[in-house]
Amino acid sequence: MKKILATSLLVTWASFSTSAMASECGKVTIADMNWNSATLIANVDRFILKHGFDCEAELVPGDTMPTGAAMIEKGQPDIAPEFWSNSMKEALDKGVEEGRIRYAGVTLSDGGEEGFWVPAYMVEKDPTLATIAGIKANAKLFKHPEDPTLSAFYGCPAGWNCQISSGNLFTAMDLGSAGFDLIDPGSGAGLSGSIAKAYERKEAWFGYYWAPTAVLGKYKMVKVDFGSGIDVKQFKECITQNDCLTPKPTMYPPSAVDSVVTEKFAKRAPEVMAYLSSRSFTNAQMNTLLAWMENEQADGEFTAEYFLTNYQESWMKWVDLATANKIKKALAQL
Amino acid sequence: MSDNSWLSEIPQLDRHQLLDIRKTLDGAYRSFSREYGDSIEAFFDPLLTFLIWFEKLLLSSPWWLVIGVLAGFAYAASRSWKLTVSVAGAFFLIGFFGMWDNTMRTMSIILVSTLLSIMIGLPIGIAMARSNRVQSFVTPVLDIMQTMPAFVYLIPVVMLLGIGKIPGVIAVIIYSVPPVIRLTNLGIRLVDKEVLEAATAYGASSMQRLFGVQLPLAMPNIMAGINQTIMMALAMVVIASMIGVKGLGQPVLKSITNQYFTLGLLNGLAIVALAIIFDRISQSYAKRTLQSFEGK
Repeated sequence: MKKILATSLLVTWASFSTSAMASECGKVTIADMNWNSATLIANVDRFILKHGFDCEAELVPGDTMPTGAAMIEKGQPDIAPEFWSNSMKEALDKGVEEGRIRYAGVTLSDGGEEGFWVPAYMVEKDPTLATIAGIKANAKLFKHPEDPTLSAFYGCPAGWNCQISSGNLFTAMDLGSAGFDLIDPGSGAGLSGSIAKAYERKEAWFGYYWAPTAVLGKYKMVKVDFGSGIDVKQFKECITQNDCLTPKPTMYPPSAVDSVVTEKFAKRAPEVMAYLSSRSFTNAQMNTLLAWMENEQADGEFTAEYFLTNYQESWMKWVDLATANKIKKALAQL
Repeated sequence: MSDNSWLSEIPQLDRHQLLDIRKTLDGAYRSFSREYGDSIEAFFDPLLTFLIWFEKLLLSSPWWLVIGVLAGFAYAASRSWKLTVSVAGAFFLIGFFGMWDNTMRTMSIILVSTLLSIMIGLPIGIAMARSNRVQSFVTPVLDIMQTMPAFVYLIPVVMLLGIGKIPGVIAVIIYSVPPVIRLTNLGIRLVDKEVLEAATAYGASSMQRLFGVQLPLAMPNIMAGINQTIMMALAMVVIASMIGVKGLGQPVLKSITNQYFTLGLLNGLAIVALAIIFDRISQSYAKRTLQSFEGK
């Protein structure tokens, strides 16, 4: 038995040392944020960096604020693959100015998409429900769980940034006088749970949500048109402000979702920077991937392997042929 | 790999087998909720109507009336002017700091949950005390209820019943009912065998023994259980607000995510005040009934 254990130890040691030898671009840390799309992209990056660029890529747990702060102040981790940069715009801009970090590329080409949504099966029955006027006219459809005289609008959970914007838009479009009550779902899980419940039973649902998310990939929803277009100035100066007194309707402008890297890493590995600057997903593609991920209850690693195997034409564009062949070879060995 | 890999690594289902199990169970739950969700919702409708009515009643009553009634309860239960004045003062301060509406919402849902917990808990506790088999079955269930992280069962409940008051009440009851069950059981089991024998010798029936001897003697323990139930129900306020229950939990959540320390502290203190008031009133009521019982 001792011998077996010794052999297995030897084998593990051997596999460690081979991976350690294969390092030209060196040790790279990638922030693995705690939501599905970010962990998927982090795993795709890890696989491509490891097998295509021979980096010693490693995932470290992260979240927007702490990771951003650590990258600016400590230069670690090296790459944040999906950064919703509006959420800490000032700090990031300052970091870029001081030459500590750099935007490597756009991760989601359509940008993060926010809005008020209704299920697609409702719009199929009544196309007017895709507009805010139609929603107001049919307010009675959206039954309030607690008060039969009111209609339900599911807002954004307490304390989130979007609570302010969705609340202001609720006022701006005067949903209150159409009979709607702004319901606070309390948490992200509460909000997605309410969508899942409505969808499973084909009930009416109207509320705030954002993409790309597994929920919008799995449940087909239609973004309600406010009929106002996007007024970026109004959105920035009033809709997102707590003390906005006279909000006017505007659609949500797409929010920037970028790859952020530390300046040190950008200088060290220009070829990886070239990859990061061309690596991007559309929201439709990401929603599909996330829906697959949730359906299969897969983790980020498994989904990344699925993506790399089944969507070759997408990622082949991000790297040159020699690198692509190396990645394909690694995929074949899975 | 060698055949002896189980020596160095724990035998494990492979990814696909595990996935199949998870998907099958999730799928089964989804079809269950699709199939029976509406009828289960309908079952809880009377409770929901009552909850809404009670909350509206508390919210629409003038503040001085609510404080007056609460102070009245406090006096009737304790006959102590000190407690009565503190109760009125605490509620006045809560209102003064702008937390009146949320406190009324929390109070309505907590009062109903606590009463339901006691109504469910006492009979189960009695059944447990009278049968060892019931006890050996209920104890592990109580352990699960107290330790299972709330969100594990909350999100399935949300899929079944939607967000709002009913899932909130269910969550609060699951977490807060165990102490009253445990201590009712313990209290009855601790009653002296000789006292019971004496009661039997006087010709008391089983029911007479239970209500005339066991329950009154177990009262101090039962009241300790009710105290713990109240405290745990109030501790669940924040969790309940994470599935859309209005009340003091919402500002607490908001202040946690935004780091508004004062707002968090004020609302937290309001929850504490509610807990202490409920507890003091119920405890002094129990103490007085016990004294009158012993005085007989």
